Amino acid sequence: MPSENNPNQMMGEQPDNASPSAAPSSAPVETLANAPNEISNAEKSFGGKSFGERPAGRQTQALAIAVAAWLVPGLGHALLKMWGRAVASFLTVAVLVVVGAGMRGNIFTSGGSDAFDTLGYIADLGAGCFYFLARSLERVGADVSHANGDYGTRFLATAGILNLLAALHAFEAARGHKA
Amino acid sequence: MDVSAIHLGHFQAMLLFALVISVAFGFLSRRRPIERIKYILWSLFLFLAIGIGIGWAMYPFSR
Repeated sequence: MPSENNPNQMMGEQPDNASPSAAPSSAPVETLANAPNEISNAEKSFGGKSFGERPAGRQTQALAIAVAAWLVPGLGHALLKMWGRAVASFLTVAVLVVVGAGMRGNIFTSGGSDAFDTLGYIADLGAGCFYFLARSLERVGADVSHANGDYGTRFLATAGILNLLAALHAFEAARGHKA
Repeated sequence: MDVSAIHLGHFQAMLLFALVISVAFGFLSRRRPIERIKYILWSLFLFLAIGIGIGWAMYPFSR
């Protein structure tokens, strides 16, 4: 049974390379399964504990990780030492943005004329810093008169949505929920 | 860096999209490597099968 005083265990942080077979008797899977109970116990016995163990502190920390994950794809998982997910998030968002911009997809801006433009802007902005990278890569502007450009638009929007999903995943993991 | 010369066909774009999304979903939703590989392969297969299936289903109405 994991100790209550270990903040990493209470937060449910699990490095990606953790293998149940290689772990000692306090296996990671068991730790994750018990994580909600441990968190509620920590909340009940809160008082005089470190910042990361306080519910409000943990929430703030999780929000900071979510913002970091949004700004730089993969950073949130990297902060949680989930290296595989960090690399996968970064690479998948990067590939989608570079290919989407290369196919001359439409990169929406804040000055949209209708609701679809606004939704597209929100989706594109989800890619964090890669949104600005896409704008710098696409020097000649969008060309959606061909299927290629239309596909590029979808690639760029998907990159943003995928990054938001990864940021939400990192947020949940930082809160101690099973992820 | 000039990346404005990427030209992908319909199938190539679908394949790349399916592969990237499958990898991302596999890593986010599964923890163990073998489970991730299984999920990625199954997801990729479904993406392609459903995409090609829908394409053929639309064929009679394309003209």
